[in-house]
Amino acid sequence: MDYRDSNDPPSRRRILQAGAGLAGATLLGSGFPLNALAADKPALGNYPAGTSGSSVFIGICTPRTGTYAAQGEDEIKGYELAIEHLNSGNELMHRISPRIRKGVLGKTVKYGIADSEAKPNTAVQAQSRFISENKAIMISGSVSSAVAVAINKLAEREKVIYLPCITGSNDTTGKDCVRYSFRQCFYAETAANAIGPVLVKNLGRNKKIAFLTPDYTYGHTVRQSMQDALASLGGWTVATNQISPLGTTDFSSHLLNVANSGADVVININFGRDAVLSIKQAKQFGILDQMTLVMPYNTPFLAKEVGANIMQGVYAGTDYWWTVQDRFALAKLFNEAFFKKHNYMPEWGANSAYMQVAMWADAVERAGSFYPVDVIKAYEQGKTVQSTVGPVHFRPEDHQLVRPVIIVKGKKPGAMKSADDYYDVVEVVDGGPLMQKPDAFGCKLGSYT
Amino acid sequence: MLNWANFVSQCFNGLVLGALLALISSGLTIIYGTLGVLNLAHGAMFMLGGYAGWLAYEYSHSYVVAVVAGSLFVLVAGIFLERTIIRFFYGRPPEDQILVTFGLGIVIVELVRLGFGSLSKSVPAPEWATGITSLGFMIYPTYRLAVVAIVAVALLALYVLLYRTRLGMIVRAGIEDAQMVDALGINAYRVFMVVFGIGAMAAGFAGIVNAPVAPITPDIGGDILVQTFVVVVIGGVGSFPGAVLGGLIAGEILSITSMFDPAYSQVMLFAAMTLVLIVRPYGLLGTQGRA
Amino acid sequence: MMRRSRLQLWTPDIVVAVCLLLAPWVLPPLGFSEDTMNRILVYGLFGIGFDLLFGYTGLLSFGQAAFFGTGGFVAAYLLTIMGLPSVVSGLLIGTLAATVVGVLVGMVALRRTGIYFAMITVAIAEMFFFLENSPLSAFTGGENGLPGVPAPTFYLGFATVHIGPDWTMYGFLAVCYLVGIVIAHRIVRSPVGHILVAIRENPLRAAAVGHNVHRYKLLVFVIAAAYGGLAGGLLGVLQGYMPPDAFTFSTSGQLVMQTVIGGLGTLYGPLVGAAVWLYLRDFLQSTLGLGAAWKLALGLVFVVLVCFLRRGIVGAIVDLLRRKPAAPAGDPVEADWSADAGPTSEADATDTVRARRDGEPILKAEGLTKRYGGLVANSNIDFSVTRGELRGVIGPNGAGKSTFFKMLTCEVQPSAGHIVFEGRDITGHSVTEACQLGLTKSYQVNQLFSRLTVRENVTIAALSRERGSFRSDLVKDLTHVPGLSDRVDETLALVRLAGRADHPVSDLAYGEKRRLEIGLALATSPSLLLLDEPLAGMSPHERVETVKLLKSIARGRTMIVIDHDMDAIFELAEKITVLREGQILVEGTPEEIKANPAVQEAYLGGVNEE
Repeated sequence: MDYRDSNDPPSRRRILQAGAGLAGATLLGSGFPLNALAADKPALGNYPAGTSGSSVFIGICTPRTGTYAAQGEDEIKGYELAIEHLNSGNELMHRISPRIRKGVLGKTVKYGIADSEAKPNTAVQAQSRFISENKAIMISGSVSSAVAVAINKLAEREKVIYLPCITGSNDTTGKDCVRYSFRQCFYAETAANAIGPVLVKNLGRNKKIAFLTPDYTYGHTVRQSMQDALASLGGWTVATNQISPLGTTDFSSHLLNVANSGADVVININFGRDAVLSIKQAKQFGILDQMTLVMPYNTPFLAKEVGANIMQGVYAGTDYWWTVQDRFALAKLFNEAFFKKHNYMPEWGANSAYMQVAMWADAVERAGSFYPVDVIKAYEQGKTVQSTVGPVHFRPEDHQLVRPVIIVKGKKPGAMKSADDYYDVVEVVDGGPLMQKPDAFGCKLGSYT
Repeated sequence: MLNWANFVSQCFNGLVLGALLALISSGLTIIYGTLGVLNLAHGAMFMLGGYAGWLAYEYSHSYVVAVVAGSLFVLVAGIFLERTIIRFFYGRPPEDQILVTFGLGIVIVELVRLGFGSLSKSVPAPEWATGITSLGFMIYPTYRLAVVAIVAVALLALYVLLYRTRLGMIVRAGIEDAQMVDALGINAYRVFMVVFGIGAMAAGFAGIVNAPVAPITPDIGGDILVQTFVVVVIGGVGSFPGAVLGGLIAGEILSITSMFDPAYSQVMLFAAMTLVLIVRPYGLLGTQGRA
Repeated sequence: MMRRSRLQLWTPDIVVAVCLLLAPWVLPPLGFSEDTMNRILVYGLFGIGFDLLFGYTGLLSFGQAAFFGTGGFVAAYLLTIMGLPSVVSGLLIGTLAATVVGVLVGMVALRRTGIYFAMITVAIAEMFFFLENSPLSAFTGGENGLPGVPAPTFYLGFATVHIGPDWTMYGFLAVCYLVGIVIAHRIVRSPVGHILVAIRENPLRAAAVGHNVHRYKLLVFVIAAAYGGLAGGLLGVLQGYMPPDAFTFSTSGQLVMQTVIGGLGTLYGPLVGAAVWLYLRDFLQSTLGLGAAWKLALGLVFVVLVCFLRRGIVGAIVDLLRRKPAAPAGDPVEADWSADAGPTSEADATDTVRARRDGEPILKAEGLTKRYGGLVANSNIDFSVTRGELRGVIGPNGAGKSTFFKMLTCEVQPSAGHIVFEGRDITGHSVTEACQLGLTKSYQVNQLFSRLTVRENVTIAALSRERGSFRSDLVKDLTHVPGLSDRVDETLALVRLAGRADHPVSDLAYGEKRRLEIGLALATSPSLLLLDEPLAGMSPHERVETVKLLKSIARGRTMIVIDHDMDAIFELAEKITVLREGQILVEGTPEEIKANPAVQEAYLGGVNEE
């Protein structure tokens, strides 16, 4: 009944020995499956319990009720599409992960979806259930860093690979990084560093900034990074920094301060509903007519919610915007497949979900085994993968994907060619130079076993 | 940071916030005062008003139609709830009433989510109230000025209803002495139905009037509900003037505190409530009657 | 009421222990994961405190998250950032912190009752949430919470047990839950537990029979906070992470819903409710594939339960088991007045001695005046009762009899004048203090604890005599209170309800309820007993019976009786005071009163009395 019987001392020792052996095996080189003889592996996490049948299970937990429900539903569509593509051996999947035939290592991928209500507590609970009941071999999903950080810890403890989906905090692959988690999306540091030069280039030097900062780690980090980058690049100064608690419903008092600050540019770091509310209200206060709005870390569906009229001329940093299909062929394939099913163009949550699953499948295929240590090591080889935003690779030191940041600018309503055509892609900023040194944010990956 | 122009504008802003809170709270308070039911689904009514109004706007593209349809829908929804469920709880302990309305609140929120999804919806401000108005010392969104006026009219209408009509007499009598209204017999129950509907409508009306200011989502009612509680406790449970006064005080506290440190604005609101409870346990304008 | 044996005392605890032991074998095949079971235990423990607060005492708090979060974050902060090595001490300090917060919050929130109380608790809990999220984020991790909470390690002498994310965690939590439920079992069976139920049923009467209701409420509020704090700490330990959402309104709401679903006032309700809630959440989402609609479905389940199954799942099961074909409810037992009902025990004998007629006034009121706004209910009343006397008070409607009585028992504070009872000035005292001094009354309208049995009613009243107005003897079994059961039996015999002792009050006939009403007052062993219209609403036959009862209890006691029934008063009282228009009209023996023309005029000139 209890798969954790393996926790008794003898098998622990066996794991350690196996781990030592594996370290040697890794040296044998890339290109080949790291270890084809799955039968040799000791039990670890849900291996081999979760891989003994003809299918493997993925646990997906995103918010479906509460503040981030819209983003959560978008992620789910991305996951479902990816898993469908995996099981059918779709061309797009094949081009990201060339070894993929049908399923992963010949096994069908099954999945379960649970509502996290955007609460870490609920998410941990749901994922724990997927791990213990469904023997999930991989878990994924998040719209907030609080959930990502919480599940990071769970993944490390349970020895199950976790792939967060939307999480902007530096901590996710910084001080709260874990061996068992890999982040695909951009984050505070790269967002700030990517958009800075674009702003100086387009808006000029010596501007005054008004910040709208949500009062939690992510918000303060982005604000600091942006402030430093803009000061050194273009001599920009801060006119005011308006801090609001998470879940603020009325920004009018903050906006009054912004309106009276004499700033040229409003940098709005709020995410989700806070972002929607603050932008709409900024418009009402006439602020957007006098100042340029910048969203360094853009929320999926923001333009749809606030309307093209307000978003025109707004600079935003994002993980993915569908019109990059003009530059990247895989994006076009993805958009088409997604649009066919859902009749709207995917947002970046859906793309992140899709790419996470595809890159995981690639790592598993390269490892030749579901044995978590092998899979992690396959990830850590840092092999370049073709993605919807061009070639990308994972940094082995902190498990952060090195990937470009897309800078977009809101279109005039008249210039939109379709209902979803809200932005022009201004620049696709190469990700490598944007990133901090791997240890700069205190990342210490845990042990493999 | 502290200058007079800013201070005055924040005070003004507090007035806008407060007016809205006052309207929602008076809905809660007249329901409680008359029926003795604390309606935890009141936040859901606020949200429902927003959605009904938004739907009406989508078809009519008229702000006025949206406001009228939103309010009427919530009036009907309130009466429906009262007839089908709430009325069976008059004879039960107050805790049961709290529990059932709490559950109904969840059901309503999730029904709306099921129907309209979680992406926020917004209703634009009417043509005549878009843009900003310069008040000399400050600029201010025209629609927010309009909100103060609209809410003031609504509060006046409620005042007339409560203090100038037969229905209002019964309602106020109920607030003073619940048993007396109970003693009025079966007729009082029709009054209960109407009062529940009107109370819900006050929240629904606020919900649609607020929609151009803050886009509506299924979860929008939750935060409002808690602030409404604070307003009602400060003003005095069951007191209509108390709800208005409490609303304005709460609005000013939220606004003025956020001028110094927004992180404390909610905290200060609750601190003010605690202070009022210690100094005047029945609220500023409350009486011992119903509470 | 026999002393419970050791075995009887421990039976429920042993049953719970066995269930917890069996659960790992029974529940997983039904689809409960280990993690789910652990969470059920945490919520179950959290809920024990809430059940004591709401289910037993009737105080509905929507702010329990404040304590859950406080306990959790204090423990997590100590164990992660401060690096406190002992997990158990971290948990205990967290619990202590929640307890202290409970005292402070309780002092504010308990100023009001009912819906006010509910709203205040919501608001205060929200304040904690905002504090945690921003101003205190340096300590709490703000929106990210505190990851890395360690699990404890125990040195058992022969072996070291590392609690890890496996069945050892279940074991650890199960032990914590067991300790929690054992303590709760004790509390429920203790005198305090009975008084809490009395407060739920009728706070006014609980105070009137001499219990300090406010302090008991604060006590149970703090106990609930402590349970919340411990559960919060355990949540952090369980998942190695303290989540900020512990502080949210929805945490409090979920606790309320789970407890109501499981069953209020059962102690196990929250555990069962948590099991149902967590299981259904998974079941609705995965098996039924409802997706986001799971919450709607659970909300509907909750509404239906509140509407139709108020006692929840455990309550329904208990009711089902109790509905055995018991002896028919039975007709009211005809009271037997032939036997001597005078003082039978030593206790009453001493009362007799105490109540010797020595001519010294036991109660003396001077210049009592009560104004309501411009209306004068009583003005300048001088009144004195001698020890051992049976005084009647009569007067036409509106003579101010009730206000006068309320002032004497300290229910209403006089506008002027003062009251001296047994040589002590009690003006401005509370009803509870007056009762503790030996002055109490039976009410004109029955004020009983109507969902309890006759014996429980009397016991609650008798407790105040034994224990004073407040004592926190939380783990003492009720049956171990010395002399209590004797006093209860005597009182029951005195009011002729011994045969009905185990019937719920709601089964009693009206006349029996009236006798119990008097019994409640008697059980507090008053040296002065006030009876407010003891014959009100009775049939002629019941009147005859009750007059006999009053005569029998009057032996060796000092009593003041108000009634409209002049014949009865003339038959009972040795001396009668007549009130009219808020003032004393005349005082004298029944004969003098009957012959007094002023009295005749007052009555004939007034409304026709029955």
